[in-house]
Amino acid sequence: MVRTRFHAFAAAALVVLGGLLSPSRAHGQSTSTDAAGALFDDSVVHDIRLTISPRDWESLKEHFKENTRYPADLRWRDETVRSIGIRSRGNGSRNGSKPGLKFDINYYTADQRFLGLKNLILRNNTQDASNMRELVSMKFFRHMNIKASRESFARLFVNTIYVGLYTIVEDIDKDFLKKNLDENDGYLYEYDFDEDSRIPYAFEYLGTDPAKYVPMPFKAQTHESDPRGDVIERFIWTINEAGAAAWRQMMSEFLDLTAFMRHLGVENFLAEEDGITGDYGPNNFYLYRFEKKNLFTFMPWDKSNTFWESPEYWIFRNIKDGPEDHRNRLVVRALQYDDLREAYLNTLLECAASAEEGANAAAADGAAAPGWLEREVGTLYELIKAAARSDTIKPFSNDQFEAAITDLKTFAKERSAAVRRMVADERPQR
Amino acid sequence: MLPLLTCLVAALTLGSQPASAADPQAGAQPEAKTEKAKKNEKKPKKEKKAKKKSDKPAPDEGPTATDTDAAPAPAPADQLEPDGKGTRVTWKQHPSFRIGSVFRIDLEAKFQEDLRDTYVGEPDLPRTQLHRNRIGVQGHLFKQIEYEVERELTEKELDAGKTPKSPWKDVNVNLTFVRNAQVKIGKFKIPFGLDQLTGVTHNDFVYRSLGANYLAPARDIGLMVHGSFLKHGLQYWSGVFRHDGDNARSSKIQGGDETFAGRVTGTPFRSLTRGLGEIELGTAVTVSKLSDDSFRPNGLRGRTIMTQHVFYEPVYVKGERRRWEADVDWTVGPASARAEYTWVSDDRRQQGIGDNDLQNARARSWYVSGTWLLTGEAKTRPVKAGGEFLQGGWGALELAARYERLSFDSAGGTDVPFRNPRAETILPAGDRALTLGANWTLNRFVKVQVNGVREQVEDNERNPVPNGAAFWSRVIRLQFVL
Repeated sequence: MVRTRFHAFAAAALVVLGGLLSPSRAHGQSTSTDAAGALFDDSVVHDIRLTISPRDWESLKEHFKENTRYPADLRWRDETVRSIGIRSRGNGSRNGSKPGLKFDINYYTADQRFLGLKNLILRNNTQDASNMRELVSMKFFRHMNIKASRESFARLFVNTIYVGLYTIVEDIDKDFLKKNLDENDGYLYEYDFDEDSRIPYAFEYLGTDPAKYVPMPFKAQTHESDPRGDVIERFIWTINEAGAAAWRQMMSEFLDLTAFMRHLGVENFLAEEDGITGDYGPNNFYLYRFEKKNLFTFMPWDKSNTFWESPEYWIFRNIKDGPEDHRNRLVVRALQYDDLREAYLNTLLECAASAEEGANAAAADGAAAPGWLEREVGTLYELIKAAARSDTIKPFSNDQFEAAITDLKTFAKERSAAVRRMVADERPQR
Repeated sequence: MLPLLTCLVAALTLGSQPASAADPQAGAQPEAKTEKAKKNEKKPKKEKKAKKKSDKPAPDEGPTATDTDAAPAPAPADQLEPDGKGTRVTWKQHPSFRIGSVFRIDLEAKFQEDLRDTYVGEPDLPRTQLHRNRIGVQGHLFKQIEYEVERELTEKELDAGKTPKSPWKDVNVNLTFVRNAQVKIGKFKIPFGLDQLTGVTHNDFVYRSLGANYLAPARDIGLMVHGSFLKHGLQYWSGVFRHDGDNARSSKIQGGDETFAGRVTGTPFRSLTRGLGEIELGTAVTVSKLSDDSFRPNGLRGRTIMTQHVFYEPVYVKGERRRWEADVDWTVGPASARAEYTWVSDDRRQQGIGDNDLQNARARSWYVSGTWLLTGEAKTRPVKAGGEFLQGGWGALELAARYERLSFDSAGGTDVPFRNPRAETILPAGDRALTLGANWTLNRFVKVQVNGVREQVEDNERNPVPNGAAFWSRVIRLQFVL
């Protein structure tokens, strides 16, 4: 009744006032290009220069746990973009001395772009003494033909002062979707890890209420006002509740399980301790639902905890061991199917082969040449060592940096053989 | 809503009591009331009491020194009944306890409940809201000490997650030892802005104007001297305050610091405009200190009327904040018109990205408004119905309209304009609003207001609706005042 009266009142007022005020105006649209390709060239260390009020920079570091944005001008090579918003970012990597940063290029001006990008992320690598787990991992994902952010290294200068070695990360946003999936009007969710929860969310069914899934743990990045948590609820229900006979057929509406096994295989080859089957429950991925479909796809994110512990990192960690409530329900159930289990193991073997690409060719001095992964680690180390050593704000000593690089090289050299052994152990003798 | 309905029934019942029991003049016929109003207009100089537009205050007509439409604070002696001897409890305007002329305490209550609707996509807006629920006391001790205490109960107006303010509204003492130089101490409204100083239950519209809400300072703690001359033909208020009011502050905005404020009103055309009603002119200034101690911007912000959508974010400021306003208030018979212009300038010393000085941040607002009582009563604030509802009449019905604009920019600047809070040239942002309304005053206690507000946020990127379109907001308010 009230609405009816409201509408009647509004309609009458509109008749009286019709045309009194000006009509709406449209604002400009911008297009995304791949002009950023040079920025993500990982064969050089880039120089990123920020001009920001010194007070704001100190304030950002002091209030690093907040997402307050500050105005700044950004310069890379001859490209300058003014009036961007920068803020502290990250979860466990948030740091008041060497803050992780997000550049919101269009925060103050909606259609502003920098090299075609709306956002840019600068990882501080405060949880990685080597500085390169993230970049090498994402590069390996792409090497395995899985869509992943492009990355490169940068020296960050704030008001001409060098403040540390950072990793430039391509954000997963509509531009990324368009470039990699050729569409971007679907539903993008960032998995939002609940740090306060003692028991992680592991894809178990929480009931019919969509609010149990969105915005936590699935935080909508597109269609924020109508994030369609109901589709995620159906997806999760199917994972957990659909009968065995219909499971594969029903799941095909929501997920390409073979592709998912490939994603999982690459993650676990890289010994990802904080990923889809991480020690703290599932974490560090984006979920995208394609336009006009219920089909989702996973995309990797934040791989700073890869190369974990040793080359012997078990390929079924937190799948066949670990606390029950940490085990990803989707992974556990999918691996009950022989073909999916084979897809997973085959991906691991493929990763092992890719990591060793070129290893058998003899070097000039007669010694065995390193494989692709070991070469990447070595090349990147030579690239960043000067910048990393002169980074006096990093939370690691230079000795720790060197030790971490040594561990990484060892991992890269020995991981393939270790994975092959583990895969062989899992397969029945033929 | 149940307590409100109970109050409503009680109010209608109370309002329908014989006039002699509740209010000797409440049941007067419209014609008689109108005649009396006319008489008052024709012979203003013969009035003995300090009543500007009416000879008897309504329940919510508190003697607030800064309330432009309440009567100037009557001396305690004026409030005494002719037979006011000894200790007694009365209920004429408010429940009241009195001890001769030595002590008086009146209980007051103000309840405003809203049904609201606005553009699609505003999920945070509660469709029903217990908007304002205040209780308080006021009175006097001896003849020269007046006091007032008022507290918000629901805090819906205060916060809603956006603007935390103190639940204490007016908490003050007014000393009347010198009639033309009264001294007020405590928390009360800084004397600035006609619309802001109009009592919350006296307003012609559900929401105050944009300038009153976001540029005028509102309440703060301070000390003020005030008084009147020439039979209230000239009034003044001047004071110093701890900060620059609730409207300049929020959980994230520190607001201004020490503030000086002064306001003067007058009726210079009184002798020239007989028969054309009363025209009162007013002007006010404030000067406040502005610090950049907070790491967040400390400037003013612009928000829409009902949804409080931020269309202009605060900028970094430091130095002084200067406000100036001018207003005119014209009342003639059943009609009234108001207009007000407000200008605010904030220094931005050392607030550039390179610690350089920036051009001042500037905010401006204006409105024009008019009302017409269809039922013929003389316009007062609050309106007094000639024939009260359920007492042989239908109450007073009034139409109202207001057009206004609030805008922000910088006073010059040679750089390209930006929205960022350290921009040398601030990209202009503004909001235009048209409010159409109807007010139905059932009796002394109950009023129903219906408003439709059409807003147009001028910066498309800060517009809460797509494509920079204008949008309507609608509200029905039920008000009960004791």
